[in-house]
Amino acid sequence: MGSAPLVAESLSAAFDNRVVLQDVSLTLQPGTLTALVGANGAGKSTLLHLLQGQLSPTGGQVLCDGVPVQMCRDQVVLMPQRGRIDWSFPITVREFVDLGSVRSRSYGCCDRDAALQRVGLTALAGRRLDALSGGQQQRALLARALVQPSRVLLLDEPCAAIDPPSRAQLLQLMRQLADAGQTLLVSSHDWGSALDQYDRVIVLDGRVLADGSPDQIRHRLGDQLDPGAHCHD
Amino acid sequence: MTEIDLWLVPLLMALLVGVLCPVTGTLLVTQRRVLQANLISHAVLPGVAVAVAFGLDPAIGGVLSGLLGSLLAERLQRGQSAGQEAVINTVLAGFLGLGVLLIPLLNLRLDLEGLLFGDLLIVDWSDLTRVLVAAAAMGLLLLTRYRQLVFLGVDPEGAQASGLPVRSLQLMQALVTSMVIVSAMAAVGVILVIGLLCAPVLPGLRRVGSLRAAMVQSACMGLAVSAIGFLLAVPLNLPPGPLIGVVCMALLCLPRLKFAM
Repeated sequence: MGSAPLVAESLSAAFDNRVVLQDVSLTLQPGTLTALVGANGAGKSTLLHLLQGQLSPTGGQVLCDGVPVQMCRDQVVLMPQRGRIDWSFPITVREFVDLGSVRSRSYGCCDRDAALQRVGLTALAGRRLDALSGGQQQRALLARALVQPSRVLLLDEPCAAIDPPSRAQLLQLMRQLADAGQTLLVSSHDWGSALDQYDRVIVLDGRVLADGSPDQIRHRLGDQLDPGAHCHD
Repeated sequence: MTEIDLWLVPLLMALLVGVLCPVTGTLLVTQRRVLQANLISHAVLPGVAVAVAFGLDPAIGGVLSGLLGSLLAERLQRGQSAGQEAVINTVLAGFLGLGVLLIPLLNLRLDLEGLLFGDLLIVDWSDLTRVLVAAAAMGLLLLTRYRQLVFLGVDPEGAQASGLPVRSLQLMQALVTSMVIVSAMAAVGVILVIGLLCAPVLPGLRRVGSLRAAMVQSACMGLAVSAIGFLLAVPLNLPPGPLIGVVCMALLCLPRLKFAM
């Protein structure tokens, strides 16, 4: 895994003359698991899409390895929200995971098998995607992201609409990836008491409201933190 | 035309269209783009009329016109998050109306009924050649872009994020869809072709494990539908095109009737 962080400098974004993000700066260090929390409409998904280079900011820039992210988009992988996927599409888990390597030339079945094993879906590889539970589907999405040789993983609401045991399992997986050196930024609109599982928490509401360790965030925004289900069982 | 050609060409045409349309339809149904295909099928008319007026092959005019209708609808849809279907249907009606108007305006001798509903019994080798060209185009698309099309169907945003040329893929698919629809026009017409694009896809879609398998099963189903429609048309002395349309609907209704009984 690499050592170069992902850096966002004074990012701004607007759609239809409505400002969605304003002056957002952050640096993601390698091997860290960071939570990006905020209410619906706080700009989390927009920020993730900007960080991945899929959207262009109206102001500021995103640097990966010191160069604009558009030049190294394969190093930053975005796992989309589950609502973006057509789960009824006729496809097996194995073929779905293979899609993560659709542009890679050095990809082999070992990469896919390793990703499936990592998320615990080896036994279900031949099953249709819509035959999986919500938690298993999220793990299939994560496996698809893992087959891409990236340095930064951006996960958009991975814990939404899945049961508590699946959330705990997913969080454990993310923790293992971070411990192995992967850089992860995980968005959620839930605040939850499981923020302790993260190395760092960024609170977003169009701009960065708070940024620090879970303890620092709890100390600073204690009264505003409601018990929720941020990847917590 | 020999006596064998009189029944062999229409039969071959029915079978080929019966395979090609459902294969194309599998892509459209799984990508939820059936409405776009319906638009293309109606939008071919003005192009056919203009091509005939200028002495060109009507298929070329039809393909270009269908593609133009699709692009226009796409352009007008931008910024219309709530009314996208309304835009498509309006463009569909506009192109159909334009096609109908051009026939008298350009003083053309065109069999409008034949264009709308097809006439399988008068097709010739040139019609068959058009279907083969469209089949070759579809085969080439699938051979070179299969995985990308799967990605586009299951996760369009993810496909875009992965850096796939989504726009070019959609354009290529729209072009091939236009070719398939225009080539099937002689057999089932631009109105009835939508039945053959969709109906054979649906019965087995929930059971198959890949897009490839869905295409194979829908092609087999389409082949059966076309053969039944054609073989029933001869003894009943009815036009095969509309009969194939009715068989398509029956294909969807039969399992429900069985369930109700």
